[in-house]
Amino acid sequence: MDDSLEQPTALLAKSPPSDQVEEEDDQSSDEEDGGLDWTKLPGIARPVIPKRGEKDFEPKPGGGSGLQLHVLDRARAAMFDALRATRTISSKAVSYAIWYPNIGRSHVTLAKGIHFSSMGHSAPRPVLEENGKEKIQKRLELLPEETIYLVERGSLFCWKETDVDLSAPGMDGVAGVPMTVQQVHTEMIGIEDLTLEKYQVYTYLKRLGYAVTRTNPPSSYYPTPPPWPTATQPKKRLTIFQRILSIFPLWTSRLRRLLAGGFDWWRPLRISRWLHHDKNYGSLFRSLRFMSAGHNVPLHHPNPEKRLEKQKSSPYQIFYNLYKPSTPFKRSAPPLPDFQIVVINARTTPMPTLQELTDLFDELPTLPPPLPRQRRHIPPQTSTTVAANTRAADPGAIVNTVAPPPVTPARTLNPLPSPPVPRQSLIRRIFPWAFAPLPPQTTGQVRRPHPFMALKAGRKLIVIAVVDAGSISFFRFGQGDFTEWPMA
Amino acid sequence: MSMITPSTRSRGPNKGGARRNENNRIYANPLPIIFNEPPPSRIRSVLNTLGLSLTEVVSPHCEGIFDPITRSVWVTSSKHTMLLWRRGFFGKGDLSRSEPSWLARQINNRRVGGKQMTSEEVTAKRRAERRQFKLDRAAAIAAVAAEAEAIFETEGRVIKPALSGPAIPSAATWRPAPAPVPETPATPTLEEEEEPVELEPIEDIEHLQLTLQEAFFLAWSLDCLTVLDPHTNDAMTLKQIWHAFQIAHLPPTLPPAPSPPLQFDNPFLINYVVYHHYRSLGWVVKGGIKFCVDYLLYKRGPVFTHAEFAMVVCPIYEDSEDQETSSLDLQNSSPFAWSWLSTINRVNSQVQKTLILVYVTIPARSRLSLDILNTPACLQHYSVREVTIRRFIPARMRD
Repeated sequence: MDDSLEQPTALLAKSPPSDQVEEEDDQSSDEEDGGLDWTKLPGIARPVIPKRGEKDFEPKPGGGSGLQLHVLDRARAAMFDALRATRTISSKAVSYAIWYPNIGRSHVTLAKGIHFSSMGHSAPRPVLEENGKEKIQKRLELLPEETIYLVERGSLFCWKETDVDLSAPGMDGVAGVPMTVQQVHTEMIGIEDLTLEKYQVYTYLKRLGYAVTRTNPPSSYYPTPPPWPTATQPKKRLTIFQRILSIFPLWTSRLRRLLAGGFDWWRPLRISRWLHHDKNYGSLFRSLRFMSAGHNVPLHHPNPEKRLEKQKSSPYQIFYNLYKPSTPFKRSAPPLPDFQIVVINARTTPMPTLQELTDLFDELPTLPPPLPRQRRHIPPQTSTTVAANTRAADPGAIVNTVAPPPVTPARTLNPLPSPPVPRQSLIRRIFPWAFAPLPPQTTGQVRRPHPFMALKAGRKLIVIAVVDAGSISFFRFGQGDFTEWPMA
Repeated sequence: MSMITPSTRSRGPNKGGARRNENNRIYANPLPIIFNEPPPSRIRSVLNTLGLSLTEVVSPHCEGIFDPITRSVWVTSSKHTMLLWRRGFFGKGDLSRSEPSWLARQINNRRVGGKQMTSEEVTAKRRAERRQFKLDRAAAIAAVAAEAEAIFETEGRVIKPALSGPAIPSAATWRPAPAPVPETPATPTLEEEEEPVELEPIEDIEHLQLTLQEAFFLAWSLDCLTVLDPHTNDAMTLKQIWHAFQIAHLPPTLPPAPSPPLQFDNPFLINYVVYHHYRSLGWVVKGGIKFCVDYLLYKRGPVFTHAEFAMVVCPIYEDSEDQETSSLDLQNSSPFAWSWLSTINRVNSQVQKTLILVYVTIPARSRLSLDILNTPACLQHYSVREVTIRRFIPARMRD
């Protein structure tokens, strides 16, 4: 799998100066998989996964012209050279482990490299001492997916537990039967709920630098993050005020409705002839809001037993906790995860039902609305800049043109680079009060969440990895919150 | 006329500023109901402090004819048509993309060298230019490739033919070739110019069609629309409208047989709940078949912004047995395949819209009597909830 799969190729096009001047055409899609330029690879050195090149023009009729064939042959030869190279590991960097099929773990006997800061867990196991006594000793163990990943990337040499007497002469340094990569795959997939899809998602995320752990601990001594804080706490000062404001007129209209008698379903709209605050579009729209909506409305179940049964057998269970590479991760006491992931097989599992999504959302914490991208403080004397900024913020300004990516207005209108925004981890976003307040970034300007961003993000978030025969697409399913963000 | 957009698309910093002000004026009212402020007076200010006002609520009364076969309501009066379009963007011209602009297009066609174009004409011109650009670019790329080929054949040097560069036009640099100036002598043109005056005036044959959701929203929630019966041409009562709009979605029965019994999973009810919900939140709700979805949500309206959200309506039966016994096969009532989700998500992210699944619960027959369907009170038993869909790209989420 290609690490750079999701990265835009914009930088690549401006490659060697010897080539003709190449400009990135906006037509070339960043997702398109072009041919690999194997000729740029060093021939004999250890293989590197190459960056993708640009798509070439279609071949000339008759199998390509002389130039096209020449270029193709050169690239093909380079590819075979690269693949022919022997993969090697340095003996200084390799770790050793013994696989115990009966417990579904491999015991790391020699740990080297940085992998074990985010992989493996310690487990107490009985050890037979020399005097024949049993003693409980902690040791580093790997789950099946961790073992396969390390073996596959050439960082771990795995033995398999064996009955053969290893103390016999000539068996120095042998801890079991050596396992091949293929054997590791066949023996370990299927152990501890690990499916091929889950392994593929695991290894893809690990290669991108994420720390990945199991959400449901496979054993009691597997370290788990603290539980999610209860939903009542994470409220932002700003939104409380907004909410009070938004609730107030609703409440008054309800009261008035109560005084005027029941709601007439044949005449839903009532505008009082005399009351002043009825006479605007805001209250007109509010008085029309009588459809029940939102995820707080309970779902009715004619058969609760059947529903519980379905919930237990649903394939939509959170499987992995995900930590960004930048999140400080401690193996023995993992923090709250940045994301949680469900892995399913696209060929056998349809889209989640509303009930399945609701069950997932029930387990997840409520997230505060995302704050807009940080803008530079605008000096008061440049009123033109302010006007330009407000215009850029107004979506009406881009009617009938190709909508630019959201970053451009801020970037182009502010020639000076904006100060770096401190990254906020999930915990920090959930417990803003538990941390020292961030230094004020803008003077005199309060950053409010943009309604569109808040609507797109939703209140809760679950990532579903859909694996279709090896290709993974990740979708974010957000708990929509349109009632909280009316447009009028 | 509002339907006419200037053909000169300036790219300056004030682009569209004047047009936006014009649009703000024309489309100032988000709903057909308007509030008429009386002239300022002392009584008014006294009343205002008491929380009372003399503001007059003006509710226009438009007329439309119910057409059960196309499941729509036709508004033919051009005054009503314009009112419904300008105050809330209701309906669609049957011969136009959205705003009924057929007449304006015909008038433009008659006027040689008309300076103003309708939105349909702007789009058609843009598409033609885009096509020409692609042809020009392909030709330029082929020329560069042929040149590289020739160098390889003669000198043996390998030059990678560029796909972009100074010799190849890009979307930013390409300009349409100037239109050939007609070389006809002056006299015949004069004659041509005189000709249109003699033509008889064009009769507007276009009507505005309202979906049944839009029509019911206007008639029931806002009391701005009178729906006429197609047979008798009499105004229908709300009860008749409510019944007729539901029947229009049920399988037809032969005339002597009584109309079929009403059902909780009637598509009219489900779509109405969605339509009303987002309208009441202030969104302008339009159809989204162009992007594989049921509805598009615009902030303020299509003349101001592109649609922000693309909504797929997914009806959910509270009781799965109701689904098995129903005579209707509701679209998206069962979870669809991942490939379809990817398809619609790809289409919509390409046009900068966020995909939203709108789940509407259908009340179980076991908990409610069918009689409740005879009044709109049944709507309180449906519920709407959204699930937002976005791609998650781990490679871009690392920090």
